[in-house]
Amino acid sequence: MKTVETRIPASRCPRCQAVVAPPASYCPWHPVAMTPTTVAGVGEIVSFTVLHSAPEGFRSPLNIAIVELEGGARFVCHGDETRGLKIGSSVAIEAIDDVYYFSHLGALERARLFWRRAGHAGDRANAIARSLAKRVWNRGPRGS
Amino acid sequence: MANVYVAGAGMTRVGRRSEPLQELMADAAHGALAEAGIERPGMVVVAAMNPEEFLGDGNFASNVATYLGLADTPAIRVETATSSGAAAFYASFAQVAAGLYQSVLVVGGEKMTHLLTPKVSEIIGRSIDPYERSYGATMPALAGLITRALLARKLVTPREIAQVAVKNHANAALNPYAHFQQAVTPEEVMESRMVAEPLRLLHCCPISDGAAALVLTAERGPVRVAGIGQGTDTLAVRHRESLTSFKANRMAARAAFQMAGFGPERVDFAELHDAFAPFELISLEDIGLVPPGKAGRVTLDGETARDGRLPINPSGGLKARGHPLAATGIAQIVECVWQLTRRVGARQVPGRVALAHSIGGLATNNWVTILEAA
Repeated sequence: MKTVETRIPASRCPRCQAVVAPPASYCPWHPVAMTPTTVAGVGEIVSFTVLHSAPEGFRSPLNIAIVELEGGARFVCHGDETRGLKIGSSVAIEAIDDVYYFSHLGALERARLFWRRAGHAGDRANAIARSLAKRVWNRGPRGS
Repeated sequence: MANVYVAGAGMTRVGRRSEPLQELMADAAHGALAEAGIERPGMVVVAAMNPEEFLGDGNFASNVATYLGLADTPAIRVETATSSGAAAFYASFAQVAAGLYQSVLVVGGEKMTHLLTPKVSEIIGRSIDPYERSYGATMPALAGLITRALLARKLVTPREIAQVAVKNHANAALNPYAHFQQAVTPEEVMESRMVAEPLRLLHCCPISDGAAALVLTAERGPVRVAGIGQGTDTLAVRHRESLTSFKANRMAARAAFQMAGFGPERVDFAELHDAFAPFELISLEDIGLVPPGKAGRVTLDGETARDGRLPINPSGGLKARGHPLAATGIAQIVECVWQLTRRVGARQVPGRVALAHSIGGLATNNWVTILEAA
């Protein structure tokens, strides 16, 4: 599970605590310098599209997604598979040659991820419960 | 603040035009000046989104003013991407309201059809956040992301989105200035070529050439500018809290209605920025013209049709009148003025209060303008 270990460079606003990725010099909402940080390359699909008329320099069809990272920032990336993908789907992000791609996380990968990231038994049970609840919820309407 | 009036309006037919942009802008400008009965305005405000890259022309305020025969008149250019026309109208309004000039000519235009579509898309796409652009994001791609979020939340249905295009094409068929003169069916829209899933070709506005102009005066004219508001948001779409509503819309509408001193219930008809059909539905709700969650329903029920309770885009909108970028914000107001003064023939809608709404970039710099028959 190398993919879940990707850390994505980001920045945080000392005023409003907003996190943006990739990092910006100044907060989009406050004229103050941001502090460098990183966020885990794991999150949920906010929306995605398959572009059939890609611009110069890209090949169609082109998958583009907005992903809400667990660290709070929303991120734009590519992905090689959109079959079965839904808004709210859990994805991992990895960098290939400095370009970020999402990949769909299966149930097993998701369980392992929560298992590994939860600090102790209580958190672990909570995380699994939340994951299950989320999967049920994801069958209904959901979005940004 | 002093009252500001629209004394004259002019525009060219929108579509694929062979004339130079300066010629199109001169046609629109001289039409507006003639209607106002003014030979020389106090100032010229020019709107053009990107003549540098579409045409290779710079210093465009002087370029246009000289071509018009107004080389001796002060001229500036205003640019806020696809809402440049509305921003230029605001700048002109501010000049007159502040008492700096008694009359201002605002003229906007764009010419793009001489370039291949991928090139035009790429140039328009330069108004997108550079990081998002580096992932191939174009305007249709970002609109596709927004449309998917709308559909997933069941805020609108594919049939309701298609109805926007059907309605606006029907309106444009009665507008001799429109790019498209033919009707489309819901099936044609919903089966047209996929552009950026789930957005299809007939959900998108065409690439158009054209120009539009208005003369604003301190002296009483047939239409009064009741309110103008600007709304802004981050250049990056990924930073937005919501994809299914535009903060820049809500902010612009709030400011415009505050200036007008009345609310959306007074608006009789509107020209909304439907570069992508679902944007008309989002904007109807953001501006407060219909209650949240109702835009699709009222559209399908015909309330926004020409003979409905609240006609939206009687001109045909960007979707079917066409979208010559910096001309669009002005062309919307030209339509409102001609409607309010009962000069549009078969597509006439009733009313004394009109609203024009323009989106800059992917809703980074939006404008709402409210006009009232004086």
